[in-house]
Amino acid sequence: MKKRILIVEDAIYMREMLVEMLGAEREEYEVVGFAVNGKEAVEKYKELKPDLVTMDLVMEEMDGIQAMREIKMYDPNALILVITALGTPEQRNEALEAGADEYLWKPFTVKNLSDLLKKLLRKEKE
Amino acid sequence: MEQPNVKGLLILSFTAACALLAFYLSVIKNVTVVYPHLFYIPLMLAGVWYRKKAIYIALFLSAVYILVTYPLWVLDPDLSVSVLERSAILIVVAYIIGFVSEKRAQVEAELKETKDYLDDVITSSADAIVVVDMAGIVQSWNKAAEDYMGYTAAEVIGTHNKKFFADPEEAERIMAIVLREGELKNHRTVVLTKDNKPVYINMSAALLKDKKGVPVGTVRVSRDITKEVELEEKIKERRNNLNLILESMPDGVYIVSKDYDVEFMNKVLIDEFGDQVGGVCYKVFHNREAPCPRCKNTEVLTGETVRWEWHSRRKNKTYDLVETPLKNINGTLSKLTIFRDISERKRMEEELNEAKEQYMAIFEHTLTALCVIEQDKTISLANKEFESMSGYSREELAGKNWTDFIEAGDSERVRNYCDERRKGGAEACCLFTLVSRDGALKYVNAMIEPVPGENRCIASLLDITELKKNEEKLRETIEKLAELDKMKLEFLNVASHEMRSPLSPIIGYASLLEPKLTGRERGYIRRIEKCARELEEMINRMLELARIDGRKVELNLEEFSLSEVVRKVIKNLEPEAKAKSQTISSVTPELKIQADKQKTAAIFTNLISNAIRYTGEGGRIDVMVEDRGEDIYACVADTGIGIPEEHLPKIFERFYMVDTSLTRKSGSLGLGLSIVKEYVKLHGGRVWATSDLGKWSKFSFTMPKGQLTNGGE
Repeated sequence: MKKRILIVEDAIYMREMLVEMLGAEREEYEVVGFAVNGKEAVEKYKELKPDLVTMDLVMEEMDGIQAMREIKMYDPNALILVITALGTPEQRNEALEAGADEYLWKPFTVKNLSDLLKKLLRKEKE
Repeated sequence: MEQPNVKGLLILSFTAACALLAFYLSVIKNVTVVYPHLFYIPLMLAGVWYRKKAIYIALFLSAVYILVTYPLWVLDPDLSVSVLERSAILIVVAYIIGFVSEKRAQVEAELKETKDYLDDVITSSADAIVVVDMAGIVQSWNKAAEDYMGYTAAEVIGTHNKKFFADPEEAERIMAIVLREGELKNHRTVVLTKDNKPVYINMSAALLKDKKGVPVGTVRVSRDITKEVELEEKIKERRNNLNLILESMPDGVYIVSKDYDVEFMNKVLIDEFGDQVGGVCYKVFHNREAPCPRCKNTEVLTGETVRWEWHSRRKNKTYDLVETPLKNINGTLSKLTIFRDISERKRMEEELNEAKEQYMAIFEHTLTALCVIEQDKTISLANKEFESMSGYSREELAGKNWTDFIEAGDSERVRNYCDERRKGGAEACCLFTLVSRDGALKYVNAMIEPVPGENRCIASLLDITELKKNEEKLRETIEKLAELDKMKLEFLNVASHEMRSPLSPIIGYASLLEPKLTGRERGYIRRIEKCARELEEMINRMLELARIDGRKVELNLEEFSLSEVVRKVIKNLEPEAKAKSQTISSVTPELKIQADKQKTAAIFTNLISNAIRYTGEGGRIDVMVEDRGEDIYACVADTGIGIPEEHLPKIFERFYMVDTSLTRKSGSLGLGLSIVKEYVKLHGGRVWATSDLGKWSKFSFTMPKGQLTNGGE
């Protein structure tokens, strides 16, 4: 069964690239929706109930941290992969504390993404 | 009473005899001329004995004579005239005899009176009066002589005076002097009393002469002066003691009589001016012919003690003179002068004054505001700079409390500062705000030091208003810089995010594109990806350094195997090295340390990748780790281009460029070495580089092993 993925990302080219990258393994993953800010992300999560969320952190309206907190509050089992250009240990910690399950630092290759997704899904099974 | 009767009878009988004889001659023998001469005998006796009364006898005798001769008158009337004449003569003679006798008796009485008076004087005189004749035999010896000599007059009159003198020759000597000089005045000698006791006497003697001027003896007036002599001896003794004291004085002493005669000089003064005793002071000391104009003799001799300073030009010395009257034995006053040589003191005083002036000048002209604070907190002395700092003149400052010039907010705090300083309590420096006369506030740094051994303090005040302003500016600048630093970090944070965001699709799409390409195109896309990665690394390092500067980086200490980390790093970098046909070899003992694993790995990664970058094709890279007890030592050596020696200390600086040719070939050294240095420093280690230009470079560092749980296997 394909994993249903919600992409939360304000930059359109990043959304498109993620779709491309996930499309490389289309038998594994299916992009079920997009959100361009945190608020939308929470709404979309509740609506779509995806298996996994890729979450940008720096966004308008509501940032990724807040969005993650709300999603995790709604669904503590939600799987969230943070994909961000913020990389300091503090920022990383903040994200993990807010509920991020994995952290992918921009820039990244297609391999980085697929490795991390596999790791995350494996962790979920356990 | 009987004697005049005898005399009267005698005169009467003489008269009767004369009358009978006259009667016999004139009447019986009928001698016509009867001479009245016979009557002169009783008349004279009467004149002598009865003096003026003789006139009555003369009248009586004349009457007798006339009576006796009366018969003759009858016979010879002529005779009556003669008889009357002779009677008159008789009366006149009787009167004359009587007068003369009276005068003589008067003189005799006076003489007797004088003699009695003299005898009284001699007898009652306190002085012994002795008359000695030319042979030395005592003729007279008065009561006073009896008293102190013990001999009565009866015992000594008629004996030789020799035995009275202690010195038997003395009698002869006195006589000789008196004979020669006619007198002897205040001669002092010793006589022996009857009990053989010596008595000091003072004798004056005069020569006694008879009416013809022939010397007949001497009269000697003597006084017992034993007491005076004893007193004199005592005084002399005292004087001797005084002289002894004067001799032993360290000061010069001389005694000058009222006539300016030098009577005494002690040794100190003799050594100084020579023995001038006997000379006249103004002559011998000052070569003057008259008393010195400044001489104090007159004042001193009226009983005053005078103290004055005298400068001897001859000796070039200054003396402190104390001149005081000194009573002599004879009751006269002399002047005792004590000479204290104060030249040295004077000189020292002058030097002291000079030094004081110098110090005062320093005090006055120093560019630090200085003032002296007394125990009661008042200002007793202030210098020019203090005046200009406070704006008050020193007249206005004098006596004011030093805290009066301090702003109310500070004055309470420093009120007892001086006392505390004296007790050694407070710190040497104190800061306060001084209110100057024109109301300007001056920030002052005061150093207040107690003057050793005194109850006062000396305060030096430094106006640090400017300094304070600068400090304020500096603080502002620092704050601004900190702000800027924060902004820089903020900026770098944002910048790295913003720069990373476009890098993300570059690398992402490149990674998507790569498997779809072949041949040269695949190479291109790999190069794009590699460069993007390098750019990313650069951004990471910039961010990391900014975080280090902003103290955002902390060590995440854990115990790990260093050898394992080194192996992993080498393994990661091996493909790069292989691409340049380089070999990496390592000598790493199995070693555990407690450190930040990630940062330790970063240190090795940076050093090794640097070595790879700056070493040509086929070069060699050696990694070595050594266990040095508490520390580890590690180095990465290469056979690369090397670094000029002058650049070695600077290559750890950020973006340091070794030289242009180097830069052209390999670019800036970038930030890798800076990161290494910071990470090593964070661990408490040290990093350095050595090199031989064109041959090799070696980067070494040490790092403490940290606190290992198991002693570090």
